[in-house]
Amino acid sequence: MSDDARLARAMAAATPKARDQAFILAVLERAEAERFRLHRSRALLRGAGYAAALVGLLWPAMTLVPAEALVEGLVGSACLAAFVLFVRRTVNA
Amino acid sequence: MSGHDEARLIAAARAGDGSAFAELVARHQQKLRGFLRRTVGDWGDADDLAQEAFVAAWSRLHRFEGRSSFRTWVCGIGYRIARDAKRAHRRAQTRDADWLEVQGGGDPAPLEDHIALGEAMATLPQDQRAAVALCLGEGFSHAEAAEVLHMPLGTVKSHVNRGRERLLQALKVRDE
Repeated sequence: MSDDARLARAMAAATPKARDQAFILAVLERAEAERFRLHRSRALLRGAGYAAALVGLLWPAMTLVPAEALVEGLVGSACLAAFVLFVRRTVNA
Repeated sequence: MSGHDEARLIAAARAGDGSAFAELVARHQQKLRGFLRRTVGDWGDADDLAQEAFVAAWSRLHRFEGRSSFRTWVCGIGYRIARDAKRAHRRAQTRDADWLEVQGGGDPAPLEDHIALGEAMATLPQDQRAAVALCLGEGFSHAEAAEVLHMPLGTVKSHVNRGRERLLQALKVRDE
């Protein structure tokens, strides 16, 4: 046997099976876990954002701020929300 | 497998079709795992890194532009993960015991050759080892290997030639 053939045969020892269902399944499980992790992180961030917005809206009522300041705050919040929606739509387009 | 067929699978996987992605994994796992096993040395770690590479490919599929083949692209991801992670030596040494079984009935290499080759591969510099694993182990062309490793073509050719010489030398030394 030539040296090159011997080298090729020794190299081939590391070649895995052509179809390996266990490996494919393991990849799919990891991909699914990764997707779930990302989804959960996004849901947590979204929840935290909603909670902060709610607190921001209720805070003036709880601290009895004047109605004028309350309206001003609501308009400001609405502008901020509109801006965030616009940016998200632009980014996703 | 036609390029059109593969493009269809990639498009479906990109749209979230898990079975199309599974088919892509099935078609390319042998090349990627073989390449990483020869590059990393430890088969358990290499298979783990290959899984990581496929998961990364799955999440980055929207960035795949089709300028190279899918196997070249995914091998490139695998190589960078293996190179950057440097976790191989820190993980538990979980050796695969089925290396003889994977020969698929062919004439297996003698154990001494396998050991000598593994030892010699471990002494090669990382880039050279990767070039040898791709070109001599997986049958990639020099141009494809250059694409995977982000290296000039001439460098890949020289790595493969020098690496081949050293491996042949290691097998001869084992005989003496």
